[in-house]
Amino acid sequence: MREKDKKIFSEKEKITRRDFLGLSAKGAAATMIAGVFSPSVGSMIGLGGVAEAATKKIKPFTFAVMTDGHLYNIKDHRFDAMFMKAVDMINNMKPRPDMVIYGGDIGQTGLEAEIKKGKNMLDKLKMPYKVIPGEHDWYLDMGKAWRGFFGEENWSINHNGAHVIGMNSIKIDDFWTGPGLTPEERMGRVLELECNSCGPWGVEEDGLEWLKKDVKKVSPDTPVVIFTHSPLWDYYPRWNFATKDAPEIRNILRKFDNVMSVHGHVHQVVFNKIGNISSVGTSSTSWPWPYPPVELPYPHIRHNRLDPGNFEDGMGAHHLSVADNGVGTMFYDPFEPSSIPDAVKRGVKL
Amino acid sequence: MRKKQFVKVSSAAILLGSVVFLVSGTVQSKEPLDDAADFDRLMDAVAYGDMLWHTGEGEGGKHKELSTNGLGCANCHPDGSATQPQSWPKYQTNLGKVGTLREMINWCIQVVQNGKGYALDSKEMIAMEAYATYMNRGAKLDPGLNAQTAPFVISGPGYPTNDEGNR
Ligand SMILES: [Fe+2]
Ligand SMILES: [Fe+2]
Repeated sequence: MREKDKKIFSEKEKITRRDFLGLSAKGAAATMIAGVFSPSVGSMIGLGGVAEAATKKIKPFTFAVMTDGHLYNIKDHRFDAMFMKAVDMINNMKPRPDMVIYGGDIGQTGLEAEIKKGKNMLDKLKMPYKVIPGEHDWYLDMGKAWRGFFGEENWSINHNGAHVIGMNSIKIDDFWTGPGLTPEERMGRVLELECNSCGPWGVEEDGLEWLKKDVKKVSPDTPVVIFTHSPLWDYYPRWNFATKDAPEIRNILRKFDNVMSVHGHVHQVVFNKIGNISSVGTSSTSWPWPYPPVELPYPHIRHNRLDPGNFEDGMGAHHLSVADNGVGTMFYDPFEPSSIPDAVKRGVKL
Repeated sequence: MRKKQFVKVSSAAILLGSVVFLVSGTVQSKEPLDDAADFDRLMDAVAYGDMLWHTGEGEGGKHKELSTNGLGCANCHPDGSATQPQSWPKYQTNLGKVGTLREMINWCIQVVQNGKGYALDSKEMIAMEAYATYMNRGAKLDPGLNAQTAPFVISGPGYPTNDEGNR
């Protein structure tokens, strides 16, 4: 990151989440602005922009990404076929990705059977894969089944000179003990996107501690890729298109030249950049979410209007290619090509 | 020709209406629409619509009218977004005709959610229409609108609720 941008970034970072909430409450009747941070010209690396390359040379690599399958425990559900279609698509990618990351929400209601169904399909991938949890995987049994299948919820690997992180960003403060909710009732509330009694979610204290420790010895010129279920910026908190401790996460990752954040949950094409961190959203393999009522900082990076009569429109897989200069390009690999504008199809620079 | 006739008929109807009004002036005892009790009745319908809107998301097959594959309206339309009550009636490709929001709700229930659907004048259908319309309040009437628009910016549940702040 350039000195000038660093300065802008640190000043902007002082705006706290509370400031943002106060601001948005006041402006609720007017248009909300997505995120606190308007993109500064110097930091724009969206389509056609020039990326600020990390200084360290790495061995180029490609990861495939699929997410948000929302499988039901119903035999031959159409979401099963779309999940499998993404798996097949990734298996046939050339060159073959080194690894696949699954971005959360394997199941819909957190049932072990749903998560198992997803794992069985993920096991058909011809390359290794890593998984992070989504809220739909978690709030029936507080992650018990998920952990049983996939292990650690926060993990990192070093790959070809890059540092790759996956984190559980869907931890919510206990809203269920007070009202005495059953696990099913708790899950039932969380699975509503607009649940207004659940509260915001994040990686919470232990996640922040884990992240601090994880990146402590990683040099700043190392390209970092971080996968979380929710975006690491305040996009639309009402739908948890946000992570409550994202400002702290961004602070911990500030020392790096280039951080590439890839998130699930939003079921849509979306992009943002805050200082050294670019964030990109992903298509699901289940259904698309509409764009929330906020102005997007990069309005040209979004999918086209979709056809509700075509169940595959707006769904698909992705691949992220990181070049030797540490700059990544995220490619959408849609089931229905017309859903992605040509410019976005050519890749989003991270 | 047809247009002319229509104009004639409608002016006759207006005339007739005024006569009725003049004759039975005291019939105008209906309280204004912003009366709290009337509003509560609407909110009851909105809350019922909200409940139906969110039924099915996690309960595959329990409500056969609404959904047999676990999907509910809110799977794709949180806060009633992307329903665009302000745009109907309009030509909708999936309906293959100029249709209404109620018809589109049934299309979603039957095609996307594999449910049976509701009679267009049923309490359930009207409640879902009330919910979608209320959640998009303030949108400018725009029949035929055929593009993505943003829903109403919402804080809290989007309408008055009980003390727990939940439906
Ligand atoms: Fe999801
Ligand atoms: Fe999610």
